[in-house]
Amino acid sequence: MADEDREKPEHSVTRRAFLKGGALATGALSSTFMPDTAEAQLPVAVEPDPRRTLVEMKVNGTAYRKEIPNRTTLLQFLREDLTLTGAKMGCDRAQCGACTVIVNGSNVYACTTLAVEASGAEILTIEGLATGDALHPIQQAFIQHTGFQCGFCTPGQIMTTKAFLDRVPRPTEDEARRALSGNLCRCAAYKRILESVMTASRLMQA
Amino acid sequence: MAQQPGARKYAVIGSAGPPIDAVERVTGQAKYVGDLELPGMLVARVLRTRHAHARIVSIDTSRAEALPGVKAVITHKDAPKVPIWGNRTYALNEQVRFAGEAVAAVAAIDEETAERALRLIDVKYEVLKFVLDPEAALQPGAPQLFADGNLEGEPRRLTRGDVDRGFAECDRVIERVYHCPTMWSGGMEPRAAIAQWEGNRLTLWASTQAPCRVQTNMTAQFNVADSQVRVIASYVGGGFGTKSAAHVDETITALLARKARRPVKLQYSREEEILDSNTRFETRVYVKIGVKRDMTLHAMDVKAYINQGAYHVRLGGLGNQSSHIYNIPHLRTVQYRVHTNLPNTGPTRGVGDPQETFAIDSAIDEIANEMGWDPVAFRLKNVKRNGDPIARGGSGTEDGRLVTQVTDRCIEEGAARIGWTRRNAAPGAGQTAPQARGIGLAVTERGSGGGLAGASVTVNLDGSVVVFYASTDIGTHSRTTLSMIAAETLGVPLASVRAVAGDTEIAPYDGGSYGNRVLYSTGRAVDAAARQCVGQILATAAPMLKAAAADLELREGVVRVKTDASRSLPLREVMQRRGRSVVGDGSVTQSQAETNVERAAGAHFVEVEVDRETGKIRILKYVSAHDVGQPINITVVENQIEGGTIQGLALTQAEEMRFDPRDGRCLNANFLDLKPPTMLDFDPRVIEPLVVDNVGEQGPYGAKGLGENPCHAGMAAVANAVYNAVGIRLRRVPFTRADVLRALAEPRQAPSRTA
Repeated sequence: MADEDREKPEHSVTRRAFLKGGALATGALSSTFMPDTAEAQLPVAVEPDPRRTLVEMKVNGTAYRKEIPNRTTLLQFLREDLTLTGAKMGCDRAQCGACTVIVNGSNVYACTTLAVEASGAEILTIEGLATGDALHPIQQAFIQHTGFQCGFCTPGQIMTTKAFLDRVPRPTEDEARRALSGNLCRCAAYKRILESVMTASRLMQA
Repeated sequence: MAQQPGARKYAVIGSAGPPIDAVERVTGQAKYVGDLELPGMLVARVLRTRHAHARIVSIDTSRAEALPGVKAVITHKDAPKVPIWGNRTYALNEQVRFAGEAVAAVAAIDEETAERALRLIDVKYEVLKFVLDPEAALQPGAPQLFADGNLEGEPRRLTRGDVDRGFAECDRVIERVYHCPTMWSGGMEPRAAIAQWEGNRLTLWASTQAPCRVQTNMTAQFNVADSQVRVIASYVGGGFGTKSAAHVDETITALLARKARRPVKLQYSREEEILDSNTRFETRVYVKIGVKRDMTLHAMDVKAYINQGAYHVRLGGLGNQSSHIYNIPHLRTVQYRVHTNLPNTGPTRGVGDPQETFAIDSAIDEIANEMGWDPVAFRLKNVKRNGDPIARGGSGTEDGRLVTQVTDRCIEEGAARIGWTRRNAAPGAGQTAPQARGIGLAVTERGSGGGLAGASVTVNLDGSVVVFYASTDIGTHSRTTLSMIAAETLGVPLASVRAVAGDTEIAPYDGGSYGNRVLYSTGRAVDAAARQCVGQILATAAPMLKAAAADLELREGVVRVKTDASRSLPLREVMQRRGRSVVGDGSVTQSQAETNVERAAGAHFVEVEVDRETGKIRILKYVSAHDVGQPINITVVENQIEGGTIQGLALTQAEEMRFDPRDGRCLNANFLDLKPPTMLDFDPRVIEPLVVDNVGEQGPYGAKGLGENPCHAGMAAVANAVYNAVGIRLRRVPFTRADVLRALAEPRQAPSRTA
């Protein structure tokens, strides 16, 4: 990759700060993942760029710290910075639910949540749901009923189900329909998604 | 189900169960094109016109090109003068023909830079007059989209008997018009492509149903051999027809990558996906139908205007449902395929069959009710039955014979399941509560398969098996059903089989995942490839077991002497002693010479509740009866029927693309305003798939294709049920509450014109 590519045009101020700050600033500007243990040693940009913010969040149990453009959505942060691509971009405007992840226990549309809004939060994505090779009961239930066809909306459906069942462990079918109504499935595997949610509820009780 | 428990004919075929790639799909590990990242990859964005019809006078890209981080900009000057699939036009055109058409594209180091660059491109247009209505587009003086006019090719005609004489002989004739506007198509995954050039060699990751078609288009666009283009489509987030042919985005991405000398990713936004993919084409169908007093359907005249929008992939109009479903001695159909300044159209689940079923089976129902006949009895009297003559191609001549046909049983079993006798005995009357109930049906059908099909099967040294096919698994779970066919034919457990989908470099040519064809056609190729493998394996094992190959069989992963099971060797051991993989290569070409015509019928029955005060139509019970031949995987079958049924129902409720008549721009290119159904809009629990027991004679193990059919009948079935409930006829979809209330407020329809 050519050098100029590292410098995004709109970040010229940052680049100056980078030059002034020298090697010390490098960590803050180009780091990707930093375990929270390294937090204390982290250098701070000499001249803070108001268009960038340092965010910290715990994603699937791992702590991350990164300076990012303020406009970065949580979905972009997860998919592009953390390469967690399970959450999908289906509409980019909170109309389909394919990007659903769990923030501090609540299902949110990551496409319309800024990463800075989620700073300090605990995030759970589809990648963090299973325990090692042991699938979460919700995942087991979605397999048992084939609660999907193309699978593109499935991570979102499952994460909405997780937040919902944590909140309402023994829902009625109509409660489940309402809870899942923010997640579109164009293949319309709705009958099986509903069955999956109800079975997951039972499996999670057991 | 065809098989009684305990008396199973097959080891694998006909079972139920989740797809073999279920874990990938529920853990986020399944990688769709947008999830892939290549080193040094650039991001592409597309500049789109806001004009419905214009000629580009000039495009100045110099400011965009000068923006740091921009690596390539392309316009119509860069686009090869090679048509995109089926179209008469190119990836980027000097004359733009719908609001939303691409005029330029940029590849840059990130999305924001690319979008900034788009704003720096200066396009000067000569704005042209536009036309949106297909009938208006055929009038003299209408704005012309193409030099040779707005009519696409010759009108498609089908004639049988003497229609004018036929109507003269009828006791009753009615004429009606049924209208389906342009509807949204597409899946949850917006179009996406990644292009990478290595020298003169292109690798393209694409969200497509038909990698081989995309490959063919790429070789034409870039004037290279098939061997220079590899198209990969591993996981695809839904297709429904919109991804069934090559599209402009693939060429745009490859052009940018070539110019930038870097890999490029182009991901459509949802708005772009709605505007510049393929939409379900608008149809206006004029139906004239005549019957004789003895309940025979005697004459039908169908005239259809198909609004192809600016561009169309030339893959089908209406499917002649009238000719294929009913015996009609005097039949005439004509289809005008017309270009207007609306977005691209193309095949969308069922292609024109849902629109046509809406027209034909509404008209059938209208005349039955006018005559006071039981709509089920009327259809049973006139539907084609097994052994009846049928047209093989698109002509009116009934030169073929219908085989393994069960339309009658679909109707009878569906009627029994819904409780047909509960229907409103006096349609539109007899119920005084604000909420009135009614039951309606619609009958449909479709053929399966077609085109060139190929697949290969490899048996590895440890006895494990891989099926390679170049079409994709778009959610129809073809990885699973094709693996089941391979497992059955080979005689190995399903767990030892894996399928690799959607890679043109490692699998033989295969048309694509569309038109009920993968299971039916590619499935036969897999079966043929697996048979070749069995032959090689048994020949290898013969000397090992000191028996003739013909006396051996492979069952449950063990090669054994048929008459003496004690003489056996596990497949793994045979393969290890052989020391070479076994490769089978299967291909199938559907023969037009075949006089036996095999098609798959369906009958949908729906009970609705119409609220006379709010106009709401509620679906109380929905029975989708389908002939699938021998089910390969019953779970897959039911999943397809349930989902397809809801997609058909969705057309009754929403998904109309609305356009501003003043400028031709789409007013609702987003999910919130298109309103595809959520789990609340239709109660999914009321949908009951009903698989009619049958075995085909041409598909693998007697299977028939299914994907398209469940989407066909919803509009007609609901319209007919609404009539049964409250006596109004809805002849335009979607059926909004306002439409229902307006129709209820009108005086009942005037008596029909009688002959």
